[in-house]
Amino acid sequence: MKTDTDKALSTKVGRRSFLKMAGIAGAFGATSAFASTGVTRAATQEEIRNPFPESKKVRTVCTACSVGCGITAEVQNGVWVRQEVAQDHPVSMGGHCCKGAGMIDMVRAGARLKHPMVKEGGKWKRISWDTAYERISSKLKNIRENDGPDATMFLGSAKMGTEQAYYFRKFVAFYGTNNIDHQARI
Amino acid sequence: MANTWGYGAMTNSLGDIQNAKAIIIFGANPAVNHPVGFGHFLKAKERNNAQIIVVDPRMTKTAAKADIYAQIRPGTDIPFMYGMLHLIFKNGWHDEKFINDRVYAMDEVMEEAKKWTPEKVEDVTGVSVEKLMQITRVYSRSTPGTLIWAMGLTQHNIGSSNTRLAPIIQLALGNMGVEGGGTNILRGHDNVQGATDMCCLSHTLPGYYGLSAGSWKYFAKSWGVDYEWLAGRFKDKKMMSAKGFSLSRWYAGVLAGKPGEDKIHNAGTNLKALFVMGNGITSIAQQAKVKEALDDLELIVLADPFVNEAAILTDKQDDVFILPAATQFETSGSVTATNRSAQWRSKVVEPLYESKTDHEVMFELAKRLGFYGEYTKGMLIRENKKEFTFPEDATDEIARIIKTIGLTGWTAERIKKHTDNWHMFDKVSLRGFGPMKGEYYGLPWPCWTETHSGSPILYNISLPVKEGGMGFRNRFGVEREGVDLLAGKGSAPVGSANPDGYPEITAENIEEVLGITLTDEEKAKIGKNWKVDTSNIIAQKCMEAGIAPYGNAKARAKVWTFPDPIPIHREPLHSPRSDLTKAHPTYKDKENHYRVDTKYASVQSEKDWSKDFPVNLVTGRLVNMNGAGVAERGSKYLAALTPEMFCDMHPDLAFNLGIKNGNMIWIHSPEGTKIKVKAKFSFSVSPDRVFLPFHYAGHFQGEDLSHKYPEGTTPYAVGESANTVTNYGYDIITQIPETKGGLCHIEKA
Repeated sequence: MKTDTDKALSTKVGRRSFLKMAGIAGAFGATSAFASTGVTRAATQEEIRNPFPESKKVRTVCTACSVGCGITAEVQNGVWVRQEVAQDHPVSMGGHCCKGAGMIDMVRAGARLKHPMVKEGGKWKRISWDTAYERISSKLKNIRENDGPDATMFLGSAKMGTEQAYYFRKFVAFYGTNNIDHQARI
Repeated sequence: MANTWGYGAMTNSLGDIQNAKAIIIFGANPAVNHPVGFGHFLKAKERNNAQIIVVDPRMTKTAAKADIYAQIRPGTDIPFMYGMLHLIFKNGWHDEKFINDRVYAMDEVMEEAKKWTPEKVEDVTGVSVEKLMQITRVYSRSTPGTLIWAMGLTQHNIGSSNTRLAPIIQLALGNMGVEGGGTNILRGHDNVQGATDMCCLSHTLPGYYGLSAGSWKYFAKSWGVDYEWLAGRFKDKKMMSAKGFSLSRWYAGVLAGKPGEDKIHNAGTNLKALFVMGNGITSIAQQAKVKEALDDLELIVLADPFVNEAAILTDKQDDVFILPAATQFETSGSVTATNRSAQWRSKVVEPLYESKTDHEVMFELAKRLGFYGEYTKGMLIRENKKEFTFPEDATDEIARIIKTIGLTGWTAERIKKHTDNWHMFDKVSLRGFGPMKGEYYGLPWPCWTETHSGSPILYNISLPVKEGGMGFRNRFGVEREGVDLLAGKGSAPVGSANPDGYPEITAENIEEVLGITLTDEEKAKIGKNWKVDTSNIIAQKCMEAGIAPYGNAKARAKVWTFPDPIPIHREPLHSPRSDLTKAHPTYKDKENHYRVDTKYASVQSEKDWSKDFPVNLVTGRLVNMNGAGVAERGSKYLAALTPEMFCDMHPDLAFNLGIKNGNMIWIHSPEGTKIKVKAKFSFSVSPDRVFLPFHYAGHFQGEDLSHKYPEGTTPYAVGESANTVTNYGYDIITQIPETKGGLCHIEKA
C-alpha cells in the first residue's frame, strides 16, 4: 500500500496529463466489459465513435465550491463512465477546474469508506448497518436520558443538499438541543 | 451584512461581475478557490477594462492577475477601509443622494474615518500612502465597482466589524443595488448558502427565524406538531431559546472542568457524544484541544464518504463509529450557489458499496429514537399525502414554511425546470429566454411567490418588485433616537404603489401601506405578518402593488446592539505590533459566548506574544483541494498535485533561521503546540509572515498517524493540519476562529 502510494505520487502530474488520466480511468471501467470474452481485438469504428452504447447523460452540479458549475455525467448500466464539462451552463460556460474535473474520480475513489465500522478495543471492526443503528441509537438514548439532550453535539454539513441540511436541523430540534453547527461558522 | 441591510448573502451574481468597472477583493482568492467563477472577473477586464484591485497579506494567484495589489498586514482591514473612506469623504467622492435617502448614521462613520489619515493607515497596515491613494482613487472613480470578500475578512476577532465596514464603503459610493456593484461574498463549499439558509447553526431555526418562543411556535405549527410536546424534548424552554455550542468551540463543552479550560453554560452537563455528518474535523483551530475532547467523549459517530479524520486523530479505543455516507452524486436535491440561485443536483449513480444517503441515516435513527412520525410529518402537509417522496416533498415543505428569505417560489418542480433548461439563460444577467422568459436562472432568493422571477441583484430599486427589485429591508424598527429609519422620499422600487419608504408588511398595516382593502375571507386567512403568512396573501398583494413584503428602509452604518456600534479597529489577540495593542485593544473577555466563556483581552494583554512568536501566520486553500481536503486527498490525481503538506516561506526569513528550500521545519504556536512541515520558498509572502494550506490531516505534532486508518481507506496524501498551530481567538459576534493572522515561531527540524 505504502510503496504503491509513493509510486503514484512520485509521478509528476500536470493539468493536461491529469485530465488525460481522468479520461483513461473513465474508459478503463468500460473496456473491461468488452474484455470479458477473453479475446483481445481491435475496436470497431462504431466502438470508437460510441464506446458506451445506450449510456445516458445526466445534468448535475459540481460539489467542490459554491460557484455551482454544471457537469454532464455519462452513465452506462449504473456506472458513471465519463464526465463532460457543461458547455451551455450559464455560470460555468464550459469551464471546469481540477477539483471539478476530479468529481468522477472522487466518487469512484478506492479510499472511500465501504461499510460501517466501529472501533472496539482500539481495533476497527466491520459491522452491519443494523448493528450500527442499534448501538448508536441505544447509546444516544442513554446519554439523552442520563445527561440530557444538551450532552450531544451535532455537526452538519455545507456539503449536504438543501433538503438534507434542513432535515439535519430538524433532527436536532426534535432531539431537543441547539448544539448544532456546520462549516458556515468558519 | 444582515445587520446592515437585512440579508447576509452575496448581493449580485458571478455573471454580473462582468458589468463592473472596478473590482476590489479583500481576503479572497477566487483564482484558486473559485477558478471557474474567476472567469467572470477576467471577462470584466476584457469587456470594460475593469481594474482589479487585491488587498491581501499574500501575493495570491488572484493578486497576480490584479492591476493593483496591496500587501496588507493580517487583521488590519478596518484601518485600510477607513483609510479609503477618509479619502472618499475628503475628496467628495461619496454619493450624497444615495446616503441621504438610503443610509442611516453615515455621519458617525465620517467622524471615525477622519482619524485614519493615510500616514496612520500606512503605519498600521503596512500599505504605503501612495498605494492607498491610488487604490481609493481608482476604485471610487470607476463606478460601478464590486467589492469581493471571503474568509480573509471573517476569520478575525473583529470579523463581524470587517464585514460591516466593507458594505459601508459600497454604501458611501452608491454601489449597492446596481448592476456591476454589490458586496459579493464568495462562499466556500458548494452548499454553504443552502445549508446556512436551512440554518444548521446553533443560533437560529431554518430561514434565520432565530430561537425565540414565537419562532419555535411557528415551526411547531408548520411541522404539524404540538409546541408543548416539542418544548418537552428540550431540557426546558430556556435551553430551547439558548444558542448552542458552535463548530469552532464545541470541544470546550467536553473539556470544561479541567484545569485551565474555559467555563461552560450547557444545562449543567458536559458534552458526552459527538454526531458528525460531512464535516472534516481538522477545519477548526486548536486541534490539540479537539483531540483531547475526542478522547474524552463517550460516543463518536462520523458519517462521511471518506474516513472523517476525527477517527484518526483520537486515541479513543471504543465506540467510535464510522458510517459510509453517499456522495451528493448518489442522491438528489437542491443546492444553492453563492449568488442565492438554486439548482437541482440530479442523482448520477446509486450509492456505491454499502454507503447510504445522509437522510436515510437520519430517518432510520429518528425511528429508533422514537420521533420519526413527528419528524417527517411536515412533508405530508402541503398536499395532505399519506407517504412522502424525498427530497421533492422536503423542497416543497421548505417552500411552504420559509418566508423570511422568500423561498415560497422554490418548489421542486420549478428548480428542476431551471436546471433542465440551463442553456436558456443569459450568462451575465441570468435572464431567461424562450420558455424561461421572465425568470432568472435558479430563481435567486427572495423568490416571493410561485410565479416570481427571482431576485438577481439585492436592493435594486430600478426594477419592480415582481421582477426582482427591492429596497433595503426594514428589520431594525422604523425610528431610532428621533431619526427615521425608513427609506427617503421617492426611493421605492419602480412601479410601487407607495413611492417612499415603508415598514415591513403585517396583517395590521397591509391595507394602509398598499392602499388596498382586503375581503373578509382574506382577512380570515392572512398570517400575522409577512414572515409567518403561510396563506401567502401578503406576498401576493405586495407583488400586485409593487411592494417588497419586508419593507423599504435605510441600510444602517451603525448597529447599536453590537459592542462596536460603528466598526473600530482592534488588533488581533496575538499581534506582532504590541505597541498598537494599547491603542487598539481587543474586547473584554466574553461570558457565555455560544455556551462557553471566551477570552479576549486576557490573552492579548498576557504578554508581548511577538517576542517569542515573531512571525505572522495565515492559512488558506490550494486549487486542487477543498475544506478539510479528505475527498481530494482520497482522489489519486488531485492528491498527486500536492502530495505533501508545506509552508510557504520567504527566502529572507528562511536564511535568517538557517533553513533551506525543502528542509523540514517545526512551527510552534503560542498555545504550545507544534507541527512539522516542509519549507517551500515563495515570494508570495513577505519575510514577516508564512502561509499554510489547511487541507491536510493524518499527522499530528510530528507523528504520522497513517497506521490508524482502517485498511484501504488511507488517503493518498496525509500531513500536518495547519489548525494544530492556528491561534486561540474568536469573532466577538459569530465566534468564527481568528485563523487569519495569528503568530508562530519557526525553527529547523
